[in-house]
Amino acid sequence: MSRSAAFLAVLGLLIIFAAAAGCTWSDQERTPLKVVPAGSLLYPFEQIEAEFENQHPEIDVQLEGHGSIQAIRQVTDLRRPIDVVAVADASLIPDMMFIPMGEGEENYTDWYTPFAENEIVIAYTGRSRGADEITPENWYRTLARPEVRVGFSNPMLDSCGYRALMVTALAEDHYNEPGLFEEIIGGAFDPPIRPQLQDGMITINLPERMRPATDKVAIRDGSIYLLSLLDAGGIDYAFEYRSVAEEHGLHWIDLPPEINLGSAEHADYYGKVRVNLGFQRFQSIGSERIGQPIVYAITVPRNAPHPEEAQMFVEFVIEAFREERAGWPDPLSPEMRAVSV
Amino acid sequence: MIPVRRRAYPALLILVSIGLLALAAGCLGTTETDDYPPWNLTLLGDTEIVLSLDEIREMDAVEGYGYAVSTVGIRYGPNRYRGVLLTDLLDMVGGVGKDDLVYVSAPDGYMWVFDAAQVRGEELFTFDENLHEIPSPPLQVILAYDCDGKPLAHDNGGPLRLVVISETPDVITEGSPWVKWVDKIEVRRR
Repeated sequence: MSRSAAFLAVLGLLIIFAAAAGCTWSDQERTPLKVVPAGSLLYPFEQIEAEFENQHPEIDVQLEGHGSIQAIRQVTDLRRPIDVVAVADASLIPDMMFIPMGEGEENYTDWYTPFAENEIVIAYTGRSRGADEITPENWYRTLARPEVRVGFSNPMLDSCGYRALMVTALAEDHYNEPGLFEEIIGGAFDPPIRPQLQDGMITINLPERMRPATDKVAIRDGSIYLLSLLDAGGIDYAFEYRSVAEEHGLHWIDLPPEINLGSAEHADYYGKVRVNLGFQRFQSIGSERIGQPIVYAITVPRNAPHPEEAQMFVEFVIEAFREERAGWPDPLSPEMRAVSV
Repeated sequence: MIPVRRRAYPALLILVSIGLLALAAGCLGTTETDDYPPWNLTLLGDTEIVLSLDEIREMDAVEGYGYAVSTVGIRYGPNRYRGVLLTDLLDMVGGVGKDDLVYVSAPDGYMWVFDAAQVRGEELFTFDENLHEIPSPPLQVILAYDCDGKPLAHDNGGPLRLVVISETPDVITEGSPWVKWVDKIEVRRR
């Protein structure tokens, strides 16, 4: 190659590099957008992240999953710079964020947008005991069998955990099967956990340590560990969100809308059940949980480092959830929107 | 001579660099723990004892690997932690009976409750790298103050954090008991 040809080749390469540099965004140039979603939103948010960044290459969405309460605490108790918070229980945002950031200061936020809904199902595999017999009509009899092992996440840590207890207590009432809660869950504890009926409310008082005394019940910190246990045959059935069961390719039983916490029509009935957690894990929220429909909500904290980009992302999320997608929580119905604001 | 003069600049640069490195490495008497405001740990049991960070550092120490996972599957670690056994601290206020509960809390408002077996590192769930549950190897629950040979950073729960340690770096434990910024440990008799 002559010297002039080599010069032209180098020049050409330089031009290509320069053009490429002008069309892409380096990590330093991109605006980091810190988004904290609840665990059951991680799967859809990972897809949304890719789609959003494709449209907005100048923004780097950084997801950090937490339980819903922990997600909010990143902003409030821990004072971290977070741009977007999305939780699996809409009521948590007004409860924990409609409070001043400091004395004489504005609230952490004054708004939230409900954007999706979910329901509790009974997830299982083809190897689960009773898998060939269980139906939406007899599921509770299958789960009550002594040899059948049932799992749910820790109510202290995960909203799906206390919702599992609510569903089982509502099932005892709905099917008029006294003792059903104890047969499926409560009897595995020493002393047994028994729902108390008083003034029309069903109350479940939990011990400080959620440790079952028998193998009938397994409790783990989060859903993913239950799925692993289900896969390994350590449990036969798990209380899960419908979207999570679908995402992981599990079998599941749909529960009646009267008890699945997924129907606006039955919101008043859900409100009959209350779970008192064994201790107050956080000073910023009490230890009482009341049954209500499962609605996801999103907000931008007032002290978000990038409020404009955060608002764009929120609008993108709301739009994305208008469409039904496999493994995602369902689009929010007008009825559910009405009961959640 | 010109060559000698030329060499003087690199030599000076090396000296300045060494000085800067020494400053950065804390060779001039400042340690990272000095960055913390005074930190006390309150132990409540049959009696109440308040320990300073220095007093805790003077106690018998243990070391091991800590590797935690969050409720949604985010892994933190493995790191090498050093600290004091939780049982040693509790023995200072009367120990833990088999039905007692131990409340560990922090100024950010977080609290976790351990039973007697868990305080000893028993009946905790453990996972492999793929987050599949494995039989629990020997574990110890410590109040850690060092991580990888350095004082525990604030973002990692320093100056004092509850940590579950094992002998090998491949054992993952549930992160919920890893209370950050611990300032109070209370035994409640039952």
